[in-house]
Amino acid sequence: MTNIVPLNSLIHRSLRVYGAASARYGDNQRFVQVVVAEFPQLVLHYPILLSKDADTGVFFCGAVLGFERDENLFLKEGEGHEGYRPLDLQRMPFYSAGSDLAIDLDHPRVGAESGQALFTESGQPTNYLAGIMHAFRDIKPGLEMTKVFIATLLQHKLIEPVDISVSFDDGSTHNLADLYTINQSVLRDLPDQTVLDLFRRGYLRLIYLMIASLKQVQELAKKKNARMLRGSESLSARVG
Amino acid sequence: MVQPLQSVVIVGGGTAGWLTAGIIAARHHSRMKAGFSVTLIESPDIKIIGVGEGTWPTLRSSLEKMGIPETQFFRETDAAFKQGARFARWTTGAEDDAYYHPLMLPQGFTQINLVPHWLQDEHGRSFCDSVCPQGRLCDDGLAPKTITTPEYKAVANYAYHLDAAKFAPFLQRHCTAKLGVRHVLADVQTVNQHESGDIRSLTTKQAGDIAGDLFIDCTGFAALLLGKTLGVGFKDCSDILFCDTALAVQVPYETPDAPMQSQTISTAQSAGWIWDIGLPQRRGIGHVYSSRHMSEAQAHESLMNYIGPTHQDLRVRKIPIRPGYRETFWKNNCVAVGLAAGFLEPLESSAIVLVELSAKLISEQMPANREVMDIVAARFNEVTHYRWGRIIDFLKLHYVLTQRTDSAFWRENLDPQSIPDRLKHLLHLWKYQSPWFFDEFDRLEEVFPAASYQYVLYGMGFRTQVGPMDNVDSEPLASRLMQENITMTRQMCVQLPKNRDLIRKIHEHGMQPI
Repeated sequence: MTNIVPLNSLIHRSLRVYGAASARYGDNQRFVQVVVAEFPQLVLHYPILLSKDADTGVFFCGAVLGFERDENLFLKEGEGHEGYRPLDLQRMPFYSAGSDLAIDLDHPRVGAESGQALFTESGQPTNYLAGIMHAFRDIKPGLEMTKVFIATLLQHKLIEPVDISVSFDDGSTHNLADLYTINQSVLRDLPDQTVLDLFRRGYLRLIYLMIASLKQVQELAKKKNARMLRGSESLSARVG
Repeated sequence: MVQPLQSVVIVGGGTAGWLTAGIIAARHHSRMKAGFSVTLIESPDIKIIGVGEGTWPTLRSSLEKMGIPETQFFRETDAAFKQGARFARWTTGAEDDAYYHPLMLPQGFTQINLVPHWLQDEHGRSFCDSVCPQGRLCDDGLAPKTITTPEYKAVANYAYHLDAAKFAPFLQRHCTAKLGVRHVLADVQTVNQHESGDIRSLTTKQAGDIAGDLFIDCTGFAALLLGKTLGVGFKDCSDILFCDTALAVQVPYETPDAPMQSQTISTAQSAGWIWDIGLPQRRGIGHVYSSRHMSEAQAHESLMNYIGPTHQDLRVRKIPIRPGYRETFWKNNCVAVGLAAGFLEPLESSAIVLVELSAKLISEQMPANREVMDIVAARFNEVTHYRWGRIIDFLKLHYVLTQRTDSAFWRENLDPQSIPDRLKHLLHLWKYQSPWFFDEFDRLEEVFPAASYQYVLYGMGFRTQVGPMDNVDSEPLASRLMQENITMTRQMCVQLPKNRDLIRKIHEHGMQPI
């Protein structure tokens, strides 16, 4: 359940929120919604793909963090998030409510013992909260910009379904289903005028970041392999 | 120098006219730069008959080829999904007597005929439920896809239920705005002919003379060009199919979010049957009956009994049906499509699919010039005659399999005189071998494929002999497919949303093109 209320410096003066990355507190997501402004940082770690919202069918951009349900291969418990932590994870448990910030009081991050304060004693935002507010300055317009970017991709038929199948060292394979990427043959055949238009709007760069990010699938698989290896080693150690 | 065929003139602005215009214009769009044109002349006064509310899955590819986004089609025409038909009280007339004719093919249809396997051991399941999930989906009120399924793609095969009064204007907007069809609102006063009988031009009241190379008669029952002008006769089929009148009403839902079924429900009556079609805003309900066997007052009463007491003040529209078709469909430089070509009771929604198939054939075989037109016309006539014959056989099949003897209508339907020879032979054959692939259903675009015959035959209790060793070789495959069907049915029942909910989501969010 959620209990989302507008954030208030009086009412929530002493509230503490656990903001660091933690599987226990919801960073355990294999696919996280992202905005176009994050692409340059995401491309260094994750495949950036598209998926459809199960409830509306509407496309959104996301970063792949793992292969299985609840698996974020970049999380190390107690050590935070390796690489760039996507805004959608950073912002938890906050939401935007119009121009204000809102908070989900039922979120397990809220009221945690080891949490950080949101406000100073004089009612000023702490560095932590200021960081969250900063993130939302990217998220809110970012979602709208990402929507327009996706609409442009659709308009030019630049989206195609992609089957990502990864084999691991233990012989198992894993399929990432219901994901979409840039259709490179359509991209190659775009008329000059369209290419120019996409370039001027900054979309060509985003498109190539998405294409380049596909290389991260293999890196992700390596991470998973290493993790499985560690798992089996510790298992054999225990058995021994 | 042979003059190329450049100008196609369609007369009539109903579903048939606009669908034909759209199919031809989409196919020949690039030729328009070189002078090819499609003109549709529509009378400003004539009302659309609008009987076609049921369609076949072919309409999906027809709309897609015309470049129509499916989301737009749903939003602007108030369309709904159709997953087949449920026939109630056709076999015995009992309360619980019903079977499905779904749109999905039986599992593994291209590899194996499951009929003999089902006949050998029914496992207490109907034929439909044994070989495909769609009957269950309909029972549960589920949609044939989800909101994440791309436009025109299906999880379970589907067609549409639509509002003909909205569909034709929708096609008109698309054809004129996107496909370059010229729309002329005018009344045709005179049809001007060459000495050869070919139509030279049409003199209209409002727009002067309109000349053309090929004229397509979509003028409905009037058959202004093919019937009235070129004198082509009409082949009456009321000796085979007795229903000749329909009483139609539009019934509102009790609440806007009331469940909406995605199967056409056809409930047999004592001298005909009642259709029941779910659209998002209303249901379309009508009683099709034989006026030889039932008075209009009686037909009206049955219709009202079906609808129930809350909606007795609805406006009832009477539609005459003269079952039959033209002796020739393409004569000289004129071809008829839609009601001008013929009309049958709407039992299996054959009207719109025939328009599509005819328009597609004309469009694909568009004669290059007048010299070769007669060759194309002869082929068109041959194929179209075959199609009408097969549709009539298939419709009659629903009547000859009945066990009802409660009225003269049903008894007379079994009179051998009323059954076409071809159907008689098939029924004889099917006692010993069931219809399947390498059957005589060999035409490339059979209106009703062998699977449709299977669903109706075995849904209505027909039995084909199975020899004791007939199934031995294919038994493992058959068992596996039937088992897979059980699994697939279970999965689909969990994954698919309610039909009403998906329609709402399509209006709200739209479907994605991929």
